[in-house]
Amino acid sequence: MTVKVEVKGLNFYYPGGVQALKNINFSVYKNTVTALIGPSGCGKTTLLRCFNRMHDLYPGNRYEGEILLDGRNILSKNIDLIDLRSRVGMVFQKPTPFPMSIFDNISYGLKLRGIKKKSVLSERVEHALKQAAIWDEVKDKLFESAYTLSGGQQQRLVIARALAVEPEIILFDEPTSALDPISTAKIEGLLEHLKKSVTIIIVTHNLQQAARVSDWTGFLMLGELVEFDATEKMFTSPREKLTEDYITGRFG
Amino acid sequence: MTRVRLRKIESFIALSLCSLAAFAGIFWLFFILGDVIVHGASALRLELFTNDPAPPGIEGGGLRNAFVGQLLITFFATIIGVPLGVLGGTFLAEYARGKRIAKLISILSDIMVSVPSIVVGTFVYAVLVKPVGHFNGWAGAVALAIIMIPVVLRTTEDMLRLVPWTLREAAFALGAPYYRVITQVVYRGAAAGIFTGVLLSIARVAGETAPLLFTSFNNSFFSINMNEPISSLTATIFQYAMGPYDDWHSQAWAASLVITLFILLVTILGRMIIKMRYGGK
Repeated sequence: MTVKVEVKGLNFYYPGGVQALKNINFSVYKNTVTALIGPSGCGKTTLLRCFNRMHDLYPGNRYEGEILLDGRNILSKNIDLIDLRSRVGMVFQKPTPFPMSIFDNISYGLKLRGIKKKSVLSERVEHALKQAAIWDEVKDKLFESAYTLSGGQQQRLVIARALAVEPEIILFDEPTSALDPISTAKIEGLLEHLKKSVTIIIVTHNLQQAARVSDWTGFLMLGELVEFDATEKMFTSPREKLTEDYITGRFG
Repeated sequence: MTRVRLRKIESFIALSLCSLAAFAGIFWLFFILGDVIVHGASALRLELFTNDPAPPGIEGGGLRNAFVGQLLITFFATIIGVPLGVLGGTFLAEYARGKRIAKLISILSDIMVSVPSIVVGTFVYAVLVKPVGHFNGWAGAVALAIIMIPVVLRTTEDMLRLVPWTLREAAFALGAPYYRVITQVVYRGAAAGIFTGVLLSIARVAGETAPLLFTSFNNSFFSINMNEPISSLTATIFQYAMGPYDDWHSQAWAASLVITLFILLVTILGRMIIKMRYGGK
């Protein structure tokens, strides 16, 4: 197993010096699904948003430590954020289709990278939509507004949009919390399939989901990574008492 | 039981007062509209649009010069005012979001909305007419543009704020630079709203007279030269209504009808777009 991302001594501070992450250390392995779980406000989304430096959009945020992506520290000042974000895609809690056609949604990232040729675009769009298991539902209405799709379809569309630029990692921030069980099952099935080509980090509130889809799980509480281990081990024989209490539903 | 009755009486009184106030407003609106339609329609002739004015005191002639001049001034005002307003609104809602400067500009812009238009006229007179030495069409366009800017700016800012923040984050997450996030994603989301604001701002300035009296003034002859004084409907209405000839008066009524209908049309169009885009509210 190759290490894709290594988090070393990561501290994160929101404006005013509020520390949201405390000395986080763990590794994400290539072509696996890593789940981040923990009670609300524990910092799991904050941690996820470090991987594509989303925090940089807002003034006053500060990182300490290192996140090594293929050995290179992405927290260093001279990292090109546009380049980083094309390597590390993100899918949000609520579907975020752009106000344009289905086709334009998928080709948006490609066009950003300077791909203009029609034939290449349509090929990549089709491929991405197939990867996200939504091609059959949209192939006859590619040029209709993305808003005509249902919430579950929109979420898969957004996944296709992230996939189209062929990122190495995709971050999922509670991708199914706004969806019904059937759409959720579709997306979970998708993750299993996608990890063959990308590395996945997913934040979820749903413990069963973490157990179902992930290979590795990190349990966070109050900004600290309490335990990080293979999912199977974590859910059967956790090392920490705190983890056990959380997983068995004693709090959280 | 009596408490309920008391409340019902109170409610009835409040409702009556509200209805009365609304009726009083609407009554005068329709009274004026009716007056303009009755007088204007009878004076509306095709020559009004095809002929230039006859010499004073002589019957006939039209207002072609004023229609064309009005369109020119409004067109250039839009060309100048809309980009500035939209870019200003973009600055406030995007780049300066949450900064003190945004709040300050926003307040100043709101104040500008309520500045009497004649003050804008005299300001432009001092800046663009006095130094040049004579009235000119550009000054009129600039005066109207200045009135448009805060209206467009405010609508743009409001409409951009309505675009969910997560949409921007999603575009950033794909590796888009901020200017492309704004132009390709945020503007699209807010397009209908911004366009409506532009329409309403055109309607707002199309009926302005005071700022034109000091700037583009008026011209009895047909002219499309923006460097010279140029005629406008509103200034012509003012001149003709004050004039001594009955023919002038009826032409002023006709011109009033045309400009009222134009503003009405633009406003209704704007409202329709809002309704189509944001649902029936």
